[in-house]
Amino acid sequence: MNKLLRRGLIGGLAGAISGLILALTLNRILLAIVLGLIVGAVFTVAFRPARHVYLDNAITAAAFGVPLWALLSVIVFPLFGSQMPQWTAEGMRELFPQLVGWVFYGACLGLTRQALDDLALSRLGPEIAAPPPPAVEKKRIVILGGGFAGMTTAENLEQVFSADVSASILIVSETNALLFTPMLAEVAGSSLEPTHISTPLRTSLRRTQVVRGKVEGIDLENRRVRVALDPHRRDSSEIQEIDFDHLVLALGSISNYFGNENIKRLAFDFKSLLDAIRIRNHVIDMFERADREPDAGKRRELLTLVVAGGGFAGVELAGALNDFARGMLADYPNLRAEDLQIILVHAGDRILPELSAPLARYALERMTDRGVTFKLKTRLADARPGVVVLGSGEQINAQTLVWTAGTLPNPLIKTLPVELSKRGAVVVENTMAVPGHPGLWALGDCAALIDAKNGKPCAPTAQFALREARTLARNIHAHIKSDGGKPLQPFHFDSLGALCVVGHHTACAELSIPFARDKSVRFSGLLAWLMWRGIYLSKLPGLERKVRVLSDWVIELFFPRDIVQTIDLSEPAASESEIATLTATARS
Amino acid sequence: MRYSLLISIFICALVGALGGAASAMVVDASMSGSILLGALYGLIFALLAARRAVSPGAGLLWGLGYAFLLWLAIPAGIVPVLMDGMPTMGMLDAARAHFPELIAYTICFGTPLGLALGTLGLFQTELRAERPQPFSWPRAIIVGGLAGIVGGWAFGKWMAQANFFPLIAGLAGSDSMMVGMTLHFVFAVIIGASFGVLFQRDVRGYGSCMGWGAGYGLFWWFLGPLTVMPIWQGNRLDWSYQRGSALFGSLVGHIVYGLIVGLIYAALDRLWVGFFKYSDPINREREGAGSRFLYSLKWGAAASLAGGFLFSLVMLAIGFLPKVANLVGSSSLVVGFIVHMMISSLIGMSYGLLFRHEAPDFGSGVAWGLVYGLVWWFIGPLTLMPILLGGSFVWTTQAAGALLPSLVGHLIYGAATAVVFLILERRHNDWLRLDPRIAALEARLTRPVGTPAPALWLFVLGLGLLLPIVLG
Ligand SMILES: Cc1cc2nc3c(=O)[nH]c(=O)nc-3n(C[C@H](O)[C@H](O)[C@H](O)COP(=O)(O)OP(=O)(O)OC[C@H]3O[C@@H](n4cnc5c(N)ncnc54)[C@H](O)[C@@H]3O)c2cc1C
Repeated sequence: MNKLLRRGLIGGLAGAISGLILALTLNRILLAIVLGLIVGAVFTVAFRPARHVYLDNAITAAAFGVPLWALLSVIVFPLFGSQMPQWTAEGMRELFPQLVGWVFYGACLGLTRQALDDLALSRLGPEIAAPPPPAVEKKRIVILGGGFAGMTTAENLEQVFSADVSASILIVSETNALLFTPMLAEVAGSSLEPTHISTPLRTSLRRTQVVRGKVEGIDLENRRVRVALDPHRRDSSEIQEIDFDHLVLALGSISNYFGNENIKRLAFDFKSLLDAIRIRNHVIDMFERADREPDAGKRRELLTLVVAGGGFAGVELAGALNDFARGMLADYPNLRAEDLQIILVHAGDRILPELSAPLARYALERMTDRGVTFKLKTRLADARPGVVVLGSGEQINAQTLVWTAGTLPNPLIKTLPVELSKRGAVVVENTMAVPGHPGLWALGDCAALIDAKNGKPCAPTAQFALREARTLARNIHAHIKSDGGKPLQPFHFDSLGALCVVGHHTACAELSIPFARDKSVRFSGLLAWLMWRGIYLSKLPGLERKVRVLSDWVIELFFPRDIVQTIDLSEPAASESEIATLTATARS
Repeated sequence: MRYSLLISIFICALVGALGGAASAMVVDASMSGSILLGALYGLIFALLAARRAVSPGAGLLWGLGYAFLLWLAIPAGIVPVLMDGMPTMGMLDAARAHFPELIAYTICFGTPLGLALGTLGLFQTELRAERPQPFSWPRAIIVGGLAGIVGGWAFGKWMAQANFFPLIAGLAGSDSMMVGMTLHFVFAVIIGASFGVLFQRDVRGYGSCMGWGAGYGLFWWFLGPLTVMPIWQGNRLDWSYQRGSALFGSLVGHIVYGLIVGLIYAALDRLWVGFFKYSDPINREREGAGSRFLYSLKWGAAASLAGGFLFSLVMLAIGFLPKVANLVGSSSLVVGFIVHMMISSLIGMSYGLLFRHEAPDFGSGVAWGLVYGLVWWFIGPLTLMPILLGGSFVWTTQAAGALLPSLVGHLIYGAATAVVFLILERRHNDWLRLDPRIAALEARLTRPVGTPAPALWLFVLGLGLLLPIVLG
């Protein structure tokens, strides 16, 4: 017999018998027995049976007599008689006999239930636990990439599958943590600890298996992925082959240097945590060197930081570096503010093309006030060690160049026999399924997805990646559960707007108004800055990380930013020997 | 039959008989009948509770629950119908008339039986497996004594207000305030330390510990002002309900004292365990204490939405919302509702913190929720609310009687919050349980079946509701 049914029957019987006691004070025999039966069944289902625990059962059920009296005798019965609940002191005193009745009933219920339980145990044997679910064939869902898109897909898959074991989830990622890119500039600017903005995949995912490694090849035909487990170790070339039924491509994007090898070698990337750590340490290194540099020109070269790209990432980085570097001057008595230059080079005629013109102008003005120099309508043409060459022919002597001026979908995508967009992203249906390849899905920066409602391409931002992941998880679940029979949910999302920090207490925000198409409200200055912090803090995954970041921000109110150097910079973008060969080729 | 059970039965019957004799001296009943009845009670108790009374503390609680149930069934239930010709069982007048027996049952049967059986349990090797945790005397006495001081300080507020200190000083033949206060604190420390000694093994979370404290406070109300104090002063024992009614303020004081002792005891005890054990990275759990703390807050707040909403319906019906609005100087319903929901979400968060891991099943969850709801009736409307409204609290039966409707609301609030909280907690843990290591850990953290928690629920819920009704 089913476990719950058995308990219900035992409880119902015990309750009905004990209901006779209830009848003594309720004065309505039938009502008392029916109520007794129901309460008995519920009570018995709610508490696990055990052998010979008469006392526990009697006393527990008696204790429940008290609230049952309060609920039924005091409130429910009068309400059924179209009266107000009898919960005044007088009313309750009137009903006192029923209180005794309920408690007494409870005690009897507990004892009878135990007796029947023991009887059933000796006659029928122990309760049969629910039979284990028939062994279903497990569908293996493999997610490539542990960024916003991949990690959120895994999280949502865990939610929709909950404790359902008919699917297994595995995520492959080069890094073992999700990087919260919106706060990356603050790491480069030394106001946040690097690890505080990365959430470990293993602690946030519960039933997903995590494999740290680099995907080297995807074999769609045999449904298999090749993963190099230690891509950075020369002494190991361990490879793991992972089979899948469903494959989710969430590999993100890489920097696009438009084929310029010099820039690629000399510039810092600004995508990963390591990039941000390197930039920060490099800037500190430049200050250390400049502090002992007698030659004014050389000093200027050391203290000139060039950021290429005037989109969100470039502007936020330039703002953060500007604050950091100018704040650092206090610790370097030999350096003067005039030596320091932060230059932002941007090909467009205004920065922040994602925001409206007035806000972009505001950002430009505020940043100029704070000491950032802008070179608009200017391309970065080339780079040599110590020199940045602009499209206008102008040369800037600078030891620091950071590249944020273009991205490209992950090159691994190109190796797949799927249709690609002009940008090089996987073309997907609006359900994120890759056409012609059942069980293959793509989202995030590496997918070219068209919004199902407004027909616009979805922006390669975290904001979209998160929503896409939610829809995708539901689609995969529906697909597996209905064996592909159920129609999938097309993706639609209206952007919520954009926020950009440009310096201390200064930000711009442009938020869409819900239900009003293409209308938005704009904020700037301190209010926008507070909004930025509030919104992104709430978006940062993991309660613990939120607390850590918040504490960093609070500490920053009272203490200067840290200038401790943490990594050895002998292996930055280019090593000394590489620089030498590069210089030689550039000259020749 | 096992030898040890025979000994237990013999001793309990003996203790019961002695208790019967003692009770016959106070309550108006025949000596031989009482002795016989007492022996019978003892015998039944030994049969029922032999495997449960694993320590004196556990035994005491089982004994108290047992005594209360007996009183309700026999003197307040059946006897009046048989002897006094009452029309039905459980008339209020009968309960009032038999109030002395309630005290007699608690003091003469429940307490000695429970302590005796629990002490016997200490020596039984087969119960060792069921007795949780090693026991540390210094921790029990020091932590309990400290908790007693804080609880005594809070209780002292009422004592000063009701001019009770000189009365206590009377115990030492003086009428000075200072002597009274000193004695009061000496008692508070002794009771606190005894709390530690008796219940250290059963303490798990803060919430259950508060429950234990409330029960222990109630128990001391019977034992202290109603029993020991008159005997000490050489007065005749007066266990009538009128006397109980006159001491109602002291009852609330004892409960609040117990709650504080329980809370502080748990806090210091957990601090001890947390600092020396769980903060060690070697003992690290999958989710750090901090994450669990935050989760509990979150679930508690979410759970309280359900409880708070149901409660607000009760509030609306009894016209209590404007009074709540009064806390922020308004009298509008909407403001009252908002303030009420805010308070209930704060209390829900505290429920989350205090009661996680307490409930192995939904039944226990509801029971703890009810206890917590009741506790807040004593703390909230009866104590804090008048203070926040700029007055001072009145712990009288009239005040309590006027607030009885809100007591029902508190119970509903507690039960609903507990159920939703347990659902959220389970949903979170369902995933975790897929990992066998975590499942084992969860099982270890969760309160097992077999602790005296049910006796506590009955004693606290039953008396917490019954006393305000009967004594009013
Ligand atoms: C500095 C900066 C600031 C940004 N600020 C914002 C912002 O404020 N708001 C906003 O909405 N968006 C912002 N973005 C954009 C946002 O970060 C991306 O749109 C988002 O990360 C895309 O998510 P994704 O999962 O597709 O890719 P990613 O987050 O890039 O994740 C790709 C993942 O795949 C892994 N991976 C790549 N190749 C392999 C391989 N071969 N094998 C195994 N694993 C691999 C990577 O390790 C990474 O974990 C910002 C981006 C940057 C760089």
